[in-house]
Amino acid sequence: MLKTEVNELLTQTGPGTATGDLFRRYWLPLLLAEELPENDAPPVRVKILGERLIAFRDSEGRYGLIDEFCAHRGASLWFGRVEESGLRCAYHGWKYDVSGQCVEVPSEPENSNFCSKVKLTAYPVVKLGDILWTYMGEPENQPDVPEFEFAQVAPEQTYTSKRWQESNWLQALEGGIDSSHVSWLHSGGLKSDPLFKGAKGNEYNLNDLRPFFEVAEADGGLFVGARRNAEDGKYYWRITPWVMPAFTMVPPRGDHPLHGHFWVPIDDENCWVYTFDYHPTRPLTPEERQAMQEGHGVHSRNVPGTYRPEENKDVDYLMDREAQKRGETFSGVRGIAQQDASLQESMGPIVDRTKERLVSSDTGIIKARQKLRKAVEALRDEGITPPGVHPAHHRIRSAAIVLPQEESFIESCGEALAARPGVAHVSV
Amino acid sequence: MRPILSNSCAQAATAEEARFRIDRPIGGRAALVFALDDAAAAVVDRVAARPWSGARFVRATADTAIAEEVADADLAIMIATGDADGDVASTIARACMERGIMTAGLILGSRFEVAAAVSALRPYARNLMVTEDEDDVAEVLTALRA
Repeated sequence: MLKTEVNELLTQTGPGTATGDLFRRYWLPLLLAEELPENDAPPVRVKILGERLIAFRDSEGRYGLIDEFCAHRGASLWFGRVEESGLRCAYHGWKYDVSGQCVEVPSEPENSNFCSKVKLTAYPVVKLGDILWTYMGEPENQPDVPEFEFAQVAPEQTYTSKRWQESNWLQALEGGIDSSHVSWLHSGGLKSDPLFKGAKGNEYNLNDLRPFFEVAEADGGLFVGARRNAEDGKYYWRITPWVMPAFTMVPPRGDHPLHGHFWVPIDDENCWVYTFDYHPTRPLTPEERQAMQEGHGVHSRNVPGTYRPEENKDVDYLMDREAQKRGETFSGVRGIAQQDASLQESMGPIVDRTKERLVSSDTGIIKARQKLRKAVEALRDEGITPPGVHPAHHRIRSAAIVLPQEESFIESCGEALAARPGVAHVSV
Repeated sequence: MRPILSNSCAQAATAEEARFRIDRPIGGRAALVFALDDAAAAVVDRVAARPWSGARFVRATADTAIAEEVADADLAIMIATGDADGDVASTIARACMERGIMTAGLILGSRFEVAAAVSALRPYARNLMVTEDEDDVAEVLTALRA
């Protein structure tokens, strides 16, 4: 349960909001790199943290992210032309470079310097892995670029997709922290999904539906361990890292690739979910890559030409009661991603947390909210840089491991929970 | 059967439709908070001074009548520091298990300093949090409507 004011504090991310200011201290996924595939590609409209922007890639391959609307009459630059190292408004031909600087106002005399006085808001963009990242805060606070392992391995070892989720970012993130739903909502996928099945860990998952949970602090966020009984007096641990503000990883299964998500606010009622899979030591197989493209594992099957899942609210998520009855899916919705999204969207665009009834197995969510709130307040009131900004906080992994009962996951899994280039992940 | 009203399909998940959700008072839960050592008791005393829905706070020792204390509880939360008494935790956990009472543990301190306490509580606390932030005690109790 949260008080109304805290719920509003954590769910509002637009300009001038406290949590919006927090998000503006981090590099955030902006687009998939495939959305601007070549120089002078068509511009892309982007809304992120409640700001309407336009992204483009100029003739020299430089990425730009600027205010969507022309400074002249407020027309959308999406109709514009990307040409000769800039983006030209289709209305009267005003032209901007990737820094947002107006470089040409055709109606002015040739020797006029008027355009030098016109500049749109612009944010830096970098390409790391399959993602274009942006930093939307004050330039003097700009941190070093992210060092998440999925964006640093070779291209053949990683795959990223994205999907639109019609809910506030926080309830989507909370699903990524909450391990307790997996044995229920996703039980069908553990048995049949090509990116999950066959792992020994699945047996532990399905044989013990009442896991114990342990929450431990990390420098950049939290580790949430879920433990189940294994054989010979041992415990099977699944450890989920959360790096503030919006990065989570799913504990792996067998030699299947590692995966996880970024939950990026579009506005207060929508978010982008960037979903990645990668293997630290080998290329993804053609079969794995195809399965990801088809929406298996934690990816979604999107409406062609869009990033909207086929199982969306307009079609009641393609509810299949027969599959539900047969046990192929627990909820009747196909796919891990949309099983989560369907329930999170059903809560409403911003769930009213004053009315929820948490139980102690929600401790990870309780702690994550508290850490977020404290970080938001510390930044707002004292200017303290929040956890998760420093790239060292990004060098983490999820893990699945069997440990003797007396061992603590957080002490025994130090190496397993650290990104180690070229070293296989720890998984059962 | 295809839905014919907007409120009979998934599109009803709008802020406007949320106005029609049934608004019924939510009761608290009978939480029992055990301090397992003196340092934890000092924290619990400070937390207990705040208004709660019905949570009770107890300093648990080997002499405490645990079975009587937990009789009316539906949640037992053990608060400990590095000096926690594992035997008392075990007694609490057994009493709770017999009555189907959920157990949770909050261990206050750096994880290296409280390793022994974590090991002592792990078998008994279904949900365990290791934290250096004393505020987490009140935060968890508030979130659980204790």
